[in-house]
Amino acid sequence: MRRILFISFFLLIGSAAVFWLMTKNNGHKDQPLRFVSLAWQERAIATNKSIVNEWNMLHPEMRVEYIQGTWNSAHDYLVTAFETGDVPDIFHYESSVIIDYAMRGYLTDLSPYISTEMKNDILDVAWATVTRPNGEVGGVPFLIESLVVLYNKSLLEKEGIIPPTLEHPWTWEYLQVAARKMTKDTNDDGVIDQYGAGIGLRNSANIIMNTSISFGGSFFKKENEHFVVHVNAEEKKLLQTIIDMLYKDKSISPASIGETGAGMIPGFFSGRYAMLIGIGSWGRQQLVENAPKDFYWGVMPPLKAQSQIYGASTQTLSVPKKSKRAKEAMKFIDFMLSSKNTARLALNDWMIPARKSCLAMQEFQDSLGGWDITCASVSTLGVGSWVGAPGYVEWKSRVANPVLQELFAGRLSVDEAAKRIEHESNNVLLRYKKYGDVW
Amino acid sequence: MKNMSVLSRSVIHGLIILYIVFLLFPLLWVVASSLKSTQEIYSGSPTIFPQQLSFDHYRSVINGQQIFRSMWNSVIVGTISTVLVVLLAVPSAYAMVRYKSMVNNAILGWILVSQIFPVILVMIPLYVMLRYIGLTDSLIGLTLIYVVWSLPFVLWMMHGYVKSIPLELEEAAVIDGASRTQVIFNVLMPLLLPAIGASALFAFISAWNEFFFALVLMKSPALATLQVELARYTGMEGQARTGPLAAASVIATIPSIILFVFMRKWFTTGLVSGALKG
Repeated sequence: MRRILFISFFLLIGSAAVFWLMTKNNGHKDQPLRFVSLAWQERAIATNKSIVNEWNMLHPEMRVEYIQGTWNSAHDYLVTAFETGDVPDIFHYESSVIIDYAMRGYLTDLSPYISTEMKNDILDVAWATVTRPNGEVGGVPFLIESLVVLYNKSLLEKEGIIPPTLEHPWTWEYLQVAARKMTKDTNDDGVIDQYGAGIGLRNSANIIMNTSISFGGSFFKKENEHFVVHVNAEEKKLLQTIIDMLYKDKSISPASIGETGAGMIPGFFSGRYAMLIGIGSWGRQQLVENAPKDFYWGVMPPLKAQSQIYGASTQTLSVPKKSKRAKEAMKFIDFMLSSKNTARLALNDWMIPARKSCLAMQEFQDSLGGWDITCASVSTLGVGSWVGAPGYVEWKSRVANPVLQELFAGRLSVDEAAKRIEHESNNVLLRYKKYGDVW
Repeated sequence: MKNMSVLSRSVIHGLIILYIVFLLFPLLWVVASSLKSTQEIYSGSPTIFPQQLSFDHYRSVINGQQIFRSMWNSVIVGTISTVLVVLLAVPSAYAMVRYKSMVNNAILGWILVSQIFPVILVMIPLYVMLRYIGLTDSLIGLTLIYVVWSLPFVLWMMHGYVKSIPLELEEAAVIDGASRTQVIFNVLMPLLLPAIGASALFAFISAWNEFFFALVLMKSPALATLQVELARYTGMEGQARTGPLAAASVIATIPSIILFVFMRKWFTTGLVSGALKG
C-alpha cells in the first residue's frame, strides 16, 4: 500500500513540476506579431520562413512569429480566434472567405494603410476580389489562383491535334471534339483506357462558378437590391457540356467525379488522361518535379465559350479587427508583399503574382513550366457577380457542391439540378439578408 | 468429420488472415508510401511496395518540421492527463458504486448526456474561460481540457469494472481485520489493475489523437501537438505532401504501438471484465 501511495505522490509531484516548467516559458511580455501562413508546399514554406527571418533581422524591435496553419482547419481556427478575441495579427487566406469575414466585421479595413506603390502595382482584378463597395479592403491580394488546362503533348501529336496558342485558343466545342478523338480502348479489351480528359469534380462549385463566366453565366444576380440565384441557359450549357463529355461521349473519365485536380495527376502521367481540365495553376509544380523523364506537357490558354473570361480568386494577407497592432502588421505586409518577395512567393507556390511588376519579370514569361501562358491568362480574368454575396461560402458548401456532385454522378438531369440549386440557394441566401446585401 | 473440421478451421483461419490483411493494408500503404520517392508516389502505375527504397521523406520530416518537439508535447499532455484522469476516476467510481446515493443515477445520466455535446459547441465559452485564467496557449490548459474531456467516459468504464467486483470480497477482508484503506489497496486494486490499464490506454489515446482543441488553444508553434503538426502536410483542395505525411504518420504511430503492445493484455482483459457485468 505504501508503495502505491508513494508512486501516486511521486506522480503528483512530477506532474506539478512539469506544469511549473511549462508555465515558466509562457509568460512573454514583448509578444512578437503573430503571422499565420497557409503555405504548405515545402518550397513555399521555406520562402515564407525566409522572408519572416529577413524581416526579423531588419526589425528586431518588431519581430514576427511564423505560425504554420492548415487549409483544412483554417476556417474553424480563425472564427474561434475572431469570436474569442485571441487573434493572430496577420493571416493568410483566400478572397472568397475573407470577403465574408469582412462583412461580419472581423477584419481591419486596410485601405488607409496601403501605400500608393502597392495600390497601383497590384492588378485591379485582384483588388476587386477583396474590396467592398464602400471601399473597405479586407486583405492584400498577392497570389492569383487560376484554373488551367494541361495537356499531354505526345498524345495530341499522335492524333495529329494541334495544341492551341494564345492567338488561337480552343473553344469548348473543339475541346470536346479533341477529347472524343483521344478517348480510346488501346488494348481492345472493350474498356476505355485512355480518356480525352479528366476533370477533378470533387469540389466542383469552384470550377463551375469560375468557368460559368466564360459561358455568359454567373449564377448570382441582383434583384431588388438582394442576391438571388438563377440557373439560366448559359449556366445550363456549361453543365450540359460536361455531362455530355462524361456520359454521351464518355471522353471524360467517370473517376473524375470523386477526384481533386491533384488526384488526377498520376493518371495524367500514365496517359490515362490526355488533358486535365480546370486544375489550379499550382498543379504545374507536380508536373515539373515528378513527371517521368519522357513526359512532355503543355498549358492551354483559357478555353473560349462566349468569351475567355474566367473568375479570379486570390490569396490574401489580412489583419483581424481585434488585432491591437494593425499598423505594425501592415508594415510587415508591405515588406512581405514587396514586388521582390511577391515574385518569390509566386514562383515557389506556382501561382500567378498579383503585382504587375512581377508579371513583367523574365521568370514569369518563361515557357518552361508553362509560366508564359499561365501568366498571360491574367488578361482574361474577371470578377464573378457572386464575389461578396452574403452567404456565398455557405452556399458553395451546402448547396452548390452537393447538388453538382449528384448531377455529375448522373443522379439528376441538368434541369433538375438547376431547379434544386435555385430553390435551395434562395433558402440559404434569405438568412443572409440581415447583412444588408450592400454589394 | 475430422476432415470437415480441418477444412472449416482452414476456412476460418483464411478469413481471419484476410481480415488482418484488410486491417493492416492502410498501415502497409502508409509505410510503403513513406519509403517511396515522390516520383514513384505520383507514378501512373502504382505499386504496393517501393521499387527503390528512399528515406528522403523521413529526412525531410526530421529536418524540416518540428515533429519530435510536437511528439514530446503530445507525450507530456497525454501522460499527465492520463495520470490525472485515472487518479480522479478510480476513487470516484468506487464511491459511486459502493456508497448508494440518490444522485448516483443522475451523475451517470449526466455523464452520458455530456458525451452528446459537439466540441464546436463548447469551444468558444471554454476558450474564453481558459483565457480568463491565463491557460490558453499553454500545455497546462490543454491537459486540463483533456482531463475534463476523457474523465466522464473513463469514469463510466471504471464504474462498470468496480461494479463487477463482488462486495463479498471486501466484506471477507473486513472480517479478516482489514481496514477500509487496506481493502481498497490490497484487495480491490489488484483486481482493478486491468481495468485501470484499459482506462489509461483509452485516456492516453484520446489525448494523443485529439486535434481540434490543440489546434485552437495552442497558438505558439513550439507548443503544437503531433496531430496539429501532421495536419500541416495537407494543402488546398485535398492535396497533401503524401511522402512526408506518410513518413510523419509512421513516426507518430510508433509511441501508440509501443504502448499498445505493452498494455494490450490489460486492455482486452479490462474491456471484457467491464462489459460482462455492467
